[in-house]
Amino acid sequence: MTVNTDYLKEQRGQEWRVELRKKIKNKDRLTIERVKMPEMDPMERIKYQDKEVNLGLTLDAAMREASRCMDCANPTCIEGCPVSINIPKFVKNIERGEILDAASTLKETSALPAVCGRVCPQEKQCEARCFYVEKMKKDPVAIGYLERFAADYERESGSMSIPNVEDANGVKVATIGSGPAALSFAGDMVKLGYDVTVFEALHEIGGVLKYGIPEFRLPNSIVDVELDNLRKMGVKFETNFVVGRTASVEDLEEQGFKAFFVGSGAGLPRFMNIPGENYNGIMSSNEYLTRVNLMNAADDSYDTPVLKGKNVAVIGGGNTAMDSVRTAKRLGAERAMIIYRRSLEEMPARVEEVKHAMEEGIEFINLHNPVEYFANENGRVNKMKVQRMELGEPDASGRRRPVALDEYVELDVDLVVVAVGVSPNPLIPSCMPDLEVSRWGTIEVNEDKMQTSIPQLFAGGDIVRGGATVILAMGDGRKAAESMHGFLKEKYNL
Amino acid sequence: MANLSTRFFGLELKNPLVIASSGLTNSLENIKIFAESGAGAVVLKSIFEEEVYFEYEEMMRKQGGSHHFHEHLDYFDYQIKDENVKDYIRFISDVKEAVDIPVVGSINCISSGDWVQFASKIEAAGADAIELNLFILPSDLNKSASEASEFYLSTVKAVLAKVNIPVSVKISSYFSNLGGMVKELAEAGVAGVTMFNRFYSPDVDLNSLSLKAANVLSSPSEYVMPLRWIGLLAGRVECQLAATTGIHDADTAIKMLLAGADAVQLASIFYHKGPAYAKELLAEMEKWMDEKGFASVEEMKGKLSFTNAKNPGWYERVQFMNYFGEYNG
Repeated sequence: MTVNTDYLKEQRGQEWRVELRKKIKNKDRLTIERVKMPEMDPMERIKYQDKEVNLGLTLDAAMREASRCMDCANPTCIEGCPVSINIPKFVKNIERGEILDAASTLKETSALPAVCGRVCPQEKQCEARCFYVEKMKKDPVAIGYLERFAADYERESGSMSIPNVEDANGVKVATIGSGPAALSFAGDMVKLGYDVTVFEALHEIGGVLKYGIPEFRLPNSIVDVELDNLRKMGVKFETNFVVGRTASVEDLEEQGFKAFFVGSGAGLPRFMNIPGENYNGIMSSNEYLTRVNLMNAADDSYDTPVLKGKNVAVIGGGNTAMDSVRTAKRLGAERAMIIYRRSLEEMPARVEEVKHAMEEGIEFINLHNPVEYFANENGRVNKMKVQRMELGEPDASGRRRPVALDEYVELDVDLVVVAVGVSPNPLIPSCMPDLEVSRWGTIEVNEDKMQTSIPQLFAGGDIVRGGATVILAMGDGRKAAESMHGFLKEKYNL
Repeated sequence: MANLSTRFFGLELKNPLVIASSGLTNSLENIKIFAESGAGAVVLKSIFEEEVYFEYEEMMRKQGGSHHFHEHLDYFDYQIKDENVKDYIRFISDVKEAVDIPVVGSINCISSGDWVQFASKIEAAGADAIELNLFILPSDLNKSASEASEFYLSTVKAVLAKVNIPVSVKISSYFSNLGGMVKELAEAGVAGVTMFNRFYSPDVDLNSLSLKAANVLSSPSEYVMPLRWIGLLAGRVECQLAATTGIHDADTAIKMLLAGADAVQLASIFYHKGPAYAKELLAEMEKWMDEKGFASVEEMKGKLSFTNAKNPGWYERVQFMNYFGEYNG
């Protein structure tokens, strides 16, 4: 998203901001140490699947942290945010104690601030571009913690603000899917006066936020509040509605929908296709996490079962792998292991997630890669063979690539969760022959507009990118909303 | 008419002309023409382990190293490999259905990892044999010759343990003890060894002062190196031998058979003359055999090998001293 510099300048020049900057000298701001996030005790928290690890900042701690922000004339942090949140404005509002204003600022450009404050990799985005990091080589302002604080404060205050919505223009648009890209799109379109309906195939709205991310990292209740906010803005939600089966896009067009945003995500699990991978007790992270997160399989009062293991191996080094292995620990695994073919340093998972996993007793078997699985007489996995790896030259991602060694180790396992990535959901591409898709099943779009080969169909998030972060998907949703608005304005003289 | 039948890849071939793995054997249409023109067997274009790696690198490059995609692309090489393997398996089935000559699947691997599993998939798809196109440029100054040899042997043994169809190996000449290596490969159980693989080679562009690719296709003069080694090893190792590189006409093919090759593998000449040239080449071979009174390939095979030739010293002679003493240009 492009940053409106004039708007930022005008906002920064407001009297209260000028006064606030004068209140504490910059050299004094620099001496304040970055706040630490209070956390639940590791041995206590592993008893619960649904209790959040991070407890959130107190008002005092948040205001003190916010006072570290220099309110830079050139706020590079905003450039690091895929949805261009006016970061100094919301942070300075926290510093002066106007937390509800801070929350409103977040909602100017983000439909899901409480979510982003919890799951965004801020250390690689806004915080990586903070003045403290870029110029002082110091710890950045804890923008993510503050974002979460503002969103939580507003929710707990009972006075949730609803962003302004333009007069209804009567034009019906729909999203296919209800994950972060679709919700972000829906939020922006409803603000512009469109009649927005979100179609979701599952029984719950939220997509990967609900089925993919465990409640100890992102409680479902937090997502629900954000959804409720969208509902109050006028967004309609249809669950158990599979576009392409329940009704086709053509059917919906006949019902008056003028344009669509496809944000159907990447829910198709990938495997490594190694011998023995079909044994019982080996499943994808999608299946494992969906059973637990969305279907409450950990709760005996629910019908959905889930396999529980004593020796659980999770394959992969991303956030999904961390979510899976920490879930396994919470479901009673005695030995919960990460098997990853590179070293800790190359892991794509957030540093915080790795730290939390280590605190919880997760075993990291790095520089090892599975090559074969073995099973008992009942076909249940009981052993895996892993190959030792070493690190070679850096690859195009800048990380050192794994190189196989001719050395093998066998591990006893009774549950394996494969978290090596996902592929796009194939339903929409498969039922729309004119829709251009890549070799990998992602929908081809004009990257500036997120418009597909079918003009009234826009797309974003994992169905376009194959897989990315929540915030990048949200950025896609915003970009698609902007260009769909332009498309519809021109087509229907709005 | 001479009987051209022979054996290679552990298979009965109607003649020794094998279409070598190349871009030409990546097309069903070309393969049909080769078969109609009488070729004895076809080796499909190799599926390259390196190709997967390069495609993977390219995907990551497109994302500019963005952290947003690290998790998504972390294991994407498996996805690329899976797709490539699926395409290859489908191709083997299509070729097997379309032609009635032996079809050989080919794997080009640079590591002995899970590519070995791919051999069983080639077998399941219906390939009659597998050719392992193994090569690591021994440019690592810290690796011993025995480490390199061990890579070849362990990979071959791993593949042999996985499949029941014959496995042959296409090798380069870059071995510190080439003859000994072929002997070890034979003892490991390969059905045949093809000598020598021709590689992408660097060249220097004098105009731009940069590096570029050297000629991709072989030239006729390159046949002497495989001729020497076929001649030296024929009848002395427990596997069949095929010659390749620099064989551009019937005469050179015949020379290889006389030196002891069980078959010849050709590719470059078909880029120049098209797949239908196979028919012409076979006719010329047959004509020569008739003229010389050879009733079969079996009869002429190895007639001039190191073991059978009257003057085998030619194979071992490496210095030019006397030759140039008599050479007047």
